[in-house]
Amino acid sequence: MSLLLALLFLLAAAAGTGVVLSRDPRRQVMALAANGLVLGLLFLALQAPDVALSEVAVGTAAVPLLFLVAIASIRTDESRNQ
Amino acid sequence: MTHRLRLAGLVVSLAILACALFRIALSMPQFGRHPFPYGQAINRLAPAQRHVSNMVSAVTFDYRGFDTLGEEFMLVGAVSGAAILLRGFRGEQPTARPVQIPGRPVPPPSDAVMLIARLIGPLMMLFGLDVVLHATVTPGGGFQGGAVIASGTLLLWIGEGYRGWRSIVRTWWLDVVEGGGALGFALSGLIPLCFGGGFMENMLPYGKFRDMLSGGLMQIENASVALAVAAGFVLLFLEFLEETRAPEDDQQ
Repeated sequence: MSLLLALLFLLAAAAGTGVVLSRDPRRQVMALAANGLVLGLLFLALQAPDVALSEVAVGTAAVPLLFLVAIASIRTDESRNQ
Repeated sequence: MTHRLRLAGLVVSLAILACALFRIALSMPQFGRHPFPYGQAINRLAPAQRHVSNMVSAVTFDYRGFDTLGEEFMLVGAVSGAAILLRGFRGEQPTARPVQIPGRPVPPPSDAVMLIARLIGPLMMLFGLDVVLHATVTPGGGFQGGAVIASGTLLLWIGEGYRGWRSIVRTWWLDVVEGGGALGFALSGLIPLCFGGGFMENMLPYGKFRDMLSGGLMQIENASVALAVAAGFVLLFLEFLEETRAPEDDQQ
């Protein structure tokens, strides 16, 4: 296993831990996007560019956006009830 | 159950789990050193049989095209389910104009943001189109390119604001393209049956190796997937973003 792969594995573990440890939902979404980016790089280093493209497009753009929108939607419902 | 008993249970189960994990980890093949019989067979056969140089596309659209058909309908099912759930609360008819929630400020995007989004958004969609078109030659394909195109429209949202983005993407044919892509994929499986072939049999000319139009039927399947994925993602973004707006003049 090369140094690059070892570093990327460590980075993936760190990014995943970051997602678990961040408590504010908005920050957690950003940590999730960063985790997706790291996973995309890892897949690229493991010679799976197709999977890396999917992971980056879905994991760092689509899913975080849907989470952010869901959070914003919950906020509006709260403010309407008050 | 007391606290101490629960702690003892945790320790015992963790010990068992650690032993099992250790045993599995030791008996696994070394990292990156296991044999790839299927991959090697595809690498050997696909360039000669199908004239394509992206083996992943050869597997997803040809050798295991039937699996991709299932995935295609999974995506359509997921997007339709989300649309039904969200529209069920809002009403079937889309509102004519985006509604703003009173009290929530909508700051206009800064000039720098607008400039960057206007520069990068179209380029990103162009890159998505490039990924789609070269599915059988270079890494990527309909799903990846479609997702990149849909993400490119999000940059339009950031640059032009919700109102501008909505007037660009909210069209009646978004639903048609989403369903039509899945229909195209199903038809590319069914039409060979009418000509005496097998389901999804690649009867079109394969073209030249390393040419953008190589792969025969894979081209049609790839375009169908790209349409369905791009429209499906945009539809999903639109349905979710409409949720933050709470339209009042929806009931007719």
